[in-house]
Amino acid sequence: MLDSLPYELPELVTRAPLDTHRSTVLPEWVDWNGHMNVAFYVTAFDQASGAFMRNMGLGRRYVDGKLGMTFVLETHVTYDREMREGAPMRFTTQLLARDAKKVHLFHEMFHGEQGYLAATNETIVMNIDYATRRSAPWPAPVAVRLDELWQTHKDLPKPAKAGRVMGLSKK
Amino acid sequence: MKSAPYPLIELDLAAPFDQHRATVLPEWIDWNGHMNVGFYVVAFDKATDTLANQFGCSWEYTREKIGMTFVIEAHVTYDREVKEGDPLRITSQILDHDAKRLHYIHCMYHGTEGYLAATNELMLMNIDYETRRSAPWPDWAMERLEKMAAAHKKLPVPAQAGRLIGIKRKK
Repeated sequence: MLDSLPYELPELVTRAPLDTHRSTVLPEWVDWNGHMNVAFYVTAFDQASGAFMRNMGLGRRYVDGKLGMTFVLETHVTYDREMREGAPMRFTTQLLARDAKKVHLFHEMFHGEQGYLAATNETIVMNIDYATRRSAPWPAPVAVRLDELWQTHKDLPKPAKAGRVMGLSKK
Repeated sequence: MKSAPYPLIELDLAAPFDQHRATVLPEWIDWNGHMNVGFYVVAFDKATDTLANQFGCSWEYTREKIGMTFVIEAHVTYDREVKEGDPLRITSQILDHDAKRLHYIHCMYHGTEGYLAATNELMLMNIDYETRRSAPWPDWAMERLEKMAAAHKKLPVPAQAGRLIGIKRKK
């Protein structure tokens, strides 16, 4: 485990849920159906996970410094409503669980002006050692930050769309 | 609509469906030096187009302003990394279907090394072009879906299907 990180960490945001990440639907994210393609919802959510990691003290400097990386192991998306080119997006993020190497996150994507829920994303992200490309415990300062964030997120209700198993409900 | 207003390709009843091939493009690579999580879904979505072409609901379906297919839910497991230029082989297995929906899973393999790289379980819904709301599959599509579903019924359900996301607690 890394005991420290060789750069200054940003001030920790502990709001529950986190509500800082914003983005816009890019023209190249739109498909022949005239809306944001399924894959780019995942890209947009991955950027929200990136914002979460920066808040934890990870991100580009962590990778460029050859210290480590974070890999998504699994992801579950519900597509609730269409988003068109240029639509502003607002993301909220809830920490559902964490352990020595992983976090379990839940993102919600809202239309930035109209406010409707466009999609949700439940995801597991794992810390990776740069040299071995294998799983490794969070750096010590990151573990401390995760614990601090957990204190504010642990009492949030579990989102209705988390923990879904896919299937056709038979009437 | 009884029959499609465009020619349908020959129906392939191999189980699983095993036609889709692709290559990891340079623009699909991220700063971790491997295919980014969003582009796995781009690759899987193209495999959905190949599958939907089997039942006549791919590009022509939208071009002729008859209908569209929308993904309403997706679950991805990222099992192993793939790098720029890697060949991909994607198989598709139908798990279930009803009047308007199709539940299926894609498995992505490294094309030459053979290992499983990722899986994508999906729920696809048929959409009326005019109203952009759910609608029953056209007759020609339903007829083909039933044949494919019957052929795929004998396959075991992959372990990655029907998964619940979570961090396992050690006892």
